Amino acid sequence: MLAQKLHLLRHNFLSFVSSRTGSDLTRRQYDVIVVGGGHAGTEAAAAAARLGAETLLITQKITTIGALSCNPSLGGVGKGQLVREVDALDGLCGRAGDWAGVHFSILNRSKGPAVWGPRAQLDRERYRQFIQSELLSTPRLTVLEGSVDELLVSQPNPEEPGHHRVTGIRLVDGSHPILSSSVVLTTGTFLSGSLFMGQTTSPGGRIGDVPSCAGLSYTLKETLGLRVGRLRTGTPPRIVKESVDLSLAQLQAPDKQPTPFSFLNTHTRCKPEEQLPCYLTHTTPGVETVVRESVHLNCHIQQDTKGPRYCPSIESRVLRFPGRRHQVWLEPEGLTSDLLYPQGLSMTMPPDLQLRLLREIPALHRAEIRTPGYGVQYDFVCPTQLTPSLQVKSTQGLFLAGQINGTTGYEEAAAQGLWAGVNAGRTALSLPPMALSRTQSYIGVLIDDLVGRGVTEPYRMFTSRAEFRTYLRPDNADLRLTPRGFEEVGCVTLRRYEKAVSVRDGLQEALMALQSVALSSTRWREKLGNISLSENKSTTLNGLDLLQYKDVSFEMLASAFPECLSPYFEYSQRLKIEAVYRPHCEKQSREMERIRREESLSLPSDMDYLSLPVSLSQEVREILDRVRPNTLGAATRLPGMTPAGIVQLLNYVLRTGQRNRHTEHRNQSSQKEGGKGQLCASNIPISQ
Amino acid sequence: MIAVCDAETIFALSSGHGRCGVAVVRVSGPASSMVLRNMAGLTQALPSPRTALLRRITDPQSKELLDRGLVLWFQGPHSFTGEDSAEFHIHGGPAVITAVLQALGSLEGVRPAEAGEFTRRAFHAGKLGLTEVEGLGDLIHAETEAQRRQALRQMDGELGRLYQDWGYRLKRCLAHVEAFIDFSEDELIEDGVLNQVDSSVRQLEAEIERHLKDERRGERLRSGVQVVIAGATNAGKSSLLNTLCQRPAAIVSPIAGTTRDIVETSLDIGGFPVLLSDTAGLRDSSDSVEREGVRRARQRVEQADLTLVVVDSTQLPPDPQLVPAFLQEHLSTVLPSPSPEAGMEAASDRVLLVLNKSDLVPEEQRERTEGELRESTGLPPACFLSCYTSTGLEDFLTVLQSRVKTLCGDPLSGAPSLTQARHRAHLQQSVQALIQYHQYRDQDLALAAEGVRLALTHLGRITGRVGAEEILDIIFRDFCIGK
Repeated sequence: MLAQKLHLLRHNFLSFVSSRTGSDLTRRQYDVIVVGGGHAGTEAAAAAARLGAETLLITQKITTIGALSCNPSLGGVGKGQLVREVDALDGLCGRAGDWAGVHFSILNRSKGPAVWGPRAQLDRERYRQFIQSELLSTPRLTVLEGSVDELLVSQPNPEEPGHHRVTGIRLVDGSHPILSSSVVLTTGTFLSGSLFMGQTTSPGGRIGDVPSCAGLSYTLKETLGLRVGRLRTGTPPRIVKESVDLSLAQLQAPDKQPTPFSFLNTHTRCKPEEQLPCYLTHTTPGVETVVRESVHLNCHIQQDTKGPRYCPSIESRVLRFPGRRHQVWLEPEGLTSDLLYPQGLSMTMPPDLQLRLLREIPALHRAEIRTPGYGVQYDFVCPTQLTPSLQVKSTQGLFLAGQINGTTGYEEAAAQGLWAGVNAGRTALSLPPMALSRTQSYIGVLIDDLVGRGVTEPYRMFTSRAEFRTYLRPDNADLRLTPRGFEEVGCVTLRRYEKAVSVRDGLQEALMALQSVALSSTRWREKLGNISLSENKSTTLNGLDLLQYKDVSFEMLASAFPECLSPYFEYSQRLKIEAVYRPHCEKQSREMERIRREESLSLPSDMDYLSLPVSLSQEVREILDRVRPNTLGAATRLPGMTPAGIVQLLNYVLRTGQRNRHTEHRNQSSQKEGGKGQLCASNIPISQ
Repeated sequence: MIAVCDAETIFALSSGHGRCGVAVVRVSGPASSMVLRNMAGLTQALPSPRTALLRRITDPQSKELLDRGLVLWFQGPHSFTGEDSAEFHIHGGPAVITAVLQALGSLEGVRPAEAGEFTRRAFHAGKLGLTEVEGLGDLIHAETEAQRRQALRQMDGELGRLYQDWGYRLKRCLAHVEAFIDFSEDELIEDGVLNQVDSSVRQLEAEIERHLKDERRGERLRSGVQVVIAGATNAGKSSLLNTLCQRPAAIVSPIAGTTRDIVETSLDIGGFPVLLSDTAGLRDSSDSVEREGVRRARQRVEQADLTLVVVDSTQLPPDPQLVPAFLQEHLSTVLPSPSPEAGMEAASDRVLLVLNKSDLVPEEQRERTEGELRESTGLPPACFLSCYTSTGLEDFLTVLQSRVKTLCGDPLSGAPSLTQARHRAHLQQSVQALIQYHQYRDQDLALAAEGVRLALTHLGRITGRVGAEEILDIIFRDFCIGK
């Protein structure tokens, strides 16, 4: 690998670089070092800096910071929820999406607000610009171009669990080490990555970028002894827009009125009428023929013995579900781009066959390929070796986020990046680590699934993974996370906090106002006209009860009681959603409380399960020893764990009082958590 | 597990089943006073705490008289669990017990207790001393083991197949709704999927309701202590069965492998109902019929409350000192390897060693062996016996009877009526939850899906928990989902 000169960003945004630049050249000590400039790395660096940590972001190529390596879109069902939560914790990707989006739509519009999926097609160039300028204007954050050769590791702090402590990094060309209290690795697919196209393979993590991380790979596997696994992913060919016969595809219009991702934005940069359409088309039997004929020329597919349960490529779709039509979305790559992105056509066959395959699809019969599709295989670190703060259990100060933990997707990476950055910052500032509960956020579900169960295929977020889906909604992510993000975590700026608090207070007042208007159902019918109410005539209903009905909107109620309700027009949609879901969330609150209590009881990470003096079967001991659950909650969700085993553990932990300071802290925060932001679960005073 | 303020009220039979004069049913939780008022006809004040009161016990819905018995009221925190509690002391017949348990289960907010739940609540209320707390894990372990065995028995039969089938269909319904929610915007998932779910859910609802109305189904549960005879071929297992039931129920011959299927017979031992099963001798066989017999034998041993392991005493090592180790080794080949939660101590409570053909062993060697066995620890009780001469039968029967008595008097051995009540409660809640699906189907699919999730959770309490991964398995199998 070529040694690269230590090189500070001086590209287009020189004016943003603070006056500290000169001294930074000689700076050799940071609070937090983030390695990697993708979705995880940028969120991690920004979060650590927001927390107050002096942060250094190291990336191979400054120009690829914020690059969308695969699809030009953000959000969707499940993923959109993650974007809203990252935004609620003051992360970047939501605002970047609003800046770069060129086609906005809310998926699942007809299926209930809890599972709405905010999504946008992005302009790649704008997305990158936004992220880069945002990072450069972030105080306490320095960006450096370079390749990391190795992690510096020393003896652990004896007062904390762990066998090692990270102390910094050494660059490939750097004679001096750069020291730090914590390091966040977000190296994506670059850990022992290899690229596949047809029968050729080459080392690397993304086409066009030099392979890297050989030294890092060695440190992780050999020095720290971390278990790694191997995963695969792929990307489709990029097609020249002009060569596509769009008249043969079905036009998919965006929402007439774009909905921003960010709680801070009232509108998107792209005007409604400037939005670009997507196009939908389908595969044909000819596509299947090409796939079958090319299997012997396709290394990536041939090696796909223990593939994921879903279908990552068109090859696997056709081979596993033959004789079907498969959807292909033709997505714009940006306002000025001359390319289209064929979502659903990820492939790894030789380029000439890729072209043949494309041309079997009517709209693509003249298609030209700009860059062919390819596959990537890469190492990931088995995430059960991490704590819920995303720190490597054995190594103090070392955090991992993104694809290195076995996930797929920008949103999953951003969510982990943010949380790893928060905890890397807290560690550097001598604050205790923090965990997010799966009862409070999709980020919590994501991290708990990763560290508690591990992965066997790239992990992607689905709403079906969340037990409390009707509470973890895109509309209330700010109430769930922003106040806590400011008051306890420290990753939220004052401006956002004040906005969230004013929204919370406004909603609370509005709900009380709704409850204050009560009439018999007969009177409501008179007031609102022809609505069907199931209650009998004499029952008294308040405004909140009424708002649960399908045909009743806040606007209708406000026109019936203008003095009382019209001040809250801006919240009309949120109030409607709250009214419908509130009774269900209240029903679930006991189960939530149970899970939160179990999550708050942490099991010492150095517990010797094999010789623990309680009566546990050998099999349970071995499971516990292998997975080392962080909390009693995680232990409960392990396959094979029994009620008796859980009680044994609980007794042991309570008796020996082996709860470390993390637990105590987490106990406190989980208690606090119950009292804040939980609009749904009976925290709003109810006036009778 | 760690919930401190349980809002639900639970009940359980806390005395043994089988023949007993008085059965005690315990109720704990905030609705306990409501339960007392409704079932013991106490319209006004509750009885003073900890005072027995003779009342007519009636069904809260039909007002039908179920029994006359004693009721007691314990006001929290002065009770075993620290919560408001009540006790019903009723007549010990299975019909009365079943009727009272079902009546309790029909009350809103009242459900059968899970394994160890009373004790757990007592623990969380700080009502247990340190030694008791230490024993708690073992206790819950024993209770779950007993319930597991009881459940295994039932899952074996027609009822089990029925529940499994519902569970499977409900899982598919949920997977298809979830697939529609998570993937229909990006992938090709036909609109017809939801219509299929609609009709499947409706059908399930109807089937479960019909089942709940059909009282006869519940009677299929086998009752009595399950005693299984097991051991190597030709040890004399069938002879023991014949000796015990004093009639040739099974064919005996000197040919190894004579018994190939399970021979089952009902017995009365010391006044307690016992279901005695003879099984095929355990050995590797090339005969497929015999192999199946061996498989069934092992399965039966796994479900047994008590296993009589028959050993041919002429096969014992001549040196008495070596006998304990030999038997230990032998047991490990006959008994199932301990289930994840089963410790060895539990196994030895449920096993008796029968050293058959004692007439063929010299008297002096037998006495020295008996001496060795008395000294050794960790082995279940062993009795020398000759089915041929009936020598030692009296002693063996005494040991067997005391074992059966303990098992019958032990509420943990899984009273079928209690299991039945649990099942009913969960099935009823399942149906309720499925109604929520229809209610929200067109209005809000997330809330409709919540209904199916809840129904599956309740059914899962009977058939085993269903996790998110299992649902994803079905989604990825039934639909082509991309990256």
